[in-house]
Amino acid sequence: MEIQQITEGKRDYMDMLLLADPQEDMIMKYLDQGDLFVLYDQGQAVTVAVVVLLNHRKCELKNIATMPEVQRKGYGRYMIHFLCEHYSNRCDLMYVGTGNSEATLGFYRECGFVNSHIVAGFFTDNYREPIYEDGVRLVDMVYLKKRLDSEIDVKKVVDLAVEAGQVLLKNGAEIFRVEETMTRICKRFHVDYVDTFIISHAIFITAEKGMNEVYTKVKHVPLSGAHLGIVAEVNELSREISAGHIGIDAAWERLREIEKIPGKRGAYQVFAAGVGSAAFGYLLGANLQESLAAFFIGCLLYVWVLFGKRMNMSKIIVNMVGGALITALAILAVHIPFLGISRLDGMIIGAIMPLVPGLAFTNAIREIADSDFLSGTVRMIDALLVFVYIAVGVGTTLSIYNSFTGGVMI
Amino acid sequence: MIQGLVANLICPFLGSVAFEILFNVPRRYYVAGGVTGTAGWLVYIWIEGYSSAAMASFAGALVVVFISRMLTVKMKCPITVFLISGIFPLVPGARVYYTAYYLVTGQTGLAGQSGLEALKIAFAIVLGIVLVVSIPREVFQGQYWKNGRRRRQKLK
Repeated sequence: MEIQQITEGKRDYMDMLLLADPQEDMIMKYLDQGDLFVLYDQGQAVTVAVVVLLNHRKCELKNIATMPEVQRKGYGRYMIHFLCEHYSNRCDLMYVGTGNSEATLGFYRECGFVNSHIVAGFFTDNYREPIYEDGVRLVDMVYLKKRLDSEIDVKKVVDLAVEAGQVLLKNGAEIFRVEETMTRICKRFHVDYVDTFIISHAIFITAEKGMNEVYTKVKHVPLSGAHLGIVAEVNELSREISAGHIGIDAAWERLREIEKIPGKRGAYQVFAAGVGSAAFGYLLGANLQESLAAFFIGCLLYVWVLFGKRMNMSKIIVNMVGGALITALAILAVHIPFLGISRLDGMIIGAIMPLVPGLAFTNAIREIADSDFLSGTVRMIDALLVFVYIAVGVGTTLSIYNSFTGGVMI
Repeated sequence: MIQGLVANLICPFLGSVAFEILFNVPRRYYVAGGVTGTAGWLVYIWIEGYSSAAMASFAGALVVVFISRMLTVKMKCPITVFLISGIFPLVPGARVYYTAYYLVTGQTGLAGQSGLEALKIAFAIVLGIVLVVSIPREVFQGQYWKNGRRRRQKLK
């Protein structure tokens, strides 16, 4: 079974459309502007349906007909279910108008439609021939409606929200942004009641919809490197979702793509670390030669950092060894003759910069400013400890050097 | 003089952009981030001439966060993108180094002094960020200032 949308040659299906609406000029009124869907079973067209988009996120099912010999086999219901899902991105409400006959009304009610309103005398005013259904002449048009969001289930929405939240949290977003994004996604897809609790490395969410659908999810989000590009992209996506431009499946797809955005290339990062080291070294009092040395030290340092990340080494090792490496290289630079380098401090301070936990530090402050003390403290301790690790690495190397030179420091 | 000017304009710009690269910030924000960093640094050295490093860091942080918040509204992206690069020139990396250095060389008094200085600077940055972050979001949206005073009161 497959459903296709027909855009050209819509009139070829006129015979089938006439089953539901006996007057051709009435069909022509909506066929061109409407979307025509045809359900094929084993290559045979069995059910057709026409939907017209109305204003304000509403649509109307104008026509649905199944071949007489295969009626009552669930084709119509399958088609309606498909249409509801198909239009749930663009519309909130679907209308259907039908004659006042129990058989058809029962069918729509089983599909989840409820009474909306009545257009009096529709069939007598618009149709030349009287229409009989089950032996009763049709006079008034009965409209039924269905909320399309009821097709979206809570689990799917919450899973999307948690996934978005996890991607954000992992890549260095603030707690309030994660919270806001998740609530926004849930609200957009009509999950009425959401409660989130987010700390620096975990997400807890409970969502409730209607009377007895409650869904809770806990997600552990391990701390890892920052990728602000991904944060910016998810932020953009969240804006689009809450503006209603994008449906739930499309959002999933986008999220998967965003997650795969690679970081900057290793060589590029190494070069950037070098430039950063040199620039800050120069600002903080190094001379030209020292800055140049800081450039190379920064590059080498970042090679180590990237290596450590790839090997999943702990922060302690990466930062302590990093600090030691910087100091050792700086000492080496001082001892190379004819370079004109006589001081360690400018080079070391510059080259420390790529290790400095700037993101953890700023985020910690922002968290605390938002009165999110739990995550704020965790991130602050994380940042302070990194400072300590670096200091230990630098200090140890300096003191070893110190003991070699017998207390003469540069 | 010219050398100093170039150093104080180019170096913080390059440094800020370099750190944006390390944090994988999208390329379209490089210039904005670089300018934020440079502005923060310029304010820092300007104030430092008259006052303490902590005071200068506070002023620098104020300016950086203020610019970042305006840019966030303008460019519709997370504030962290600009904040990170702006804060970097102010981070007391130098003090941490001197603390370690003095500790190792046995100059405990000086070590304590620079350690305390590092903490003071860190706290000043915290204060600067917290102050500006607490300004309500609407103030940074153009609409807020275009509306008359009466509307503004309603907004609150």
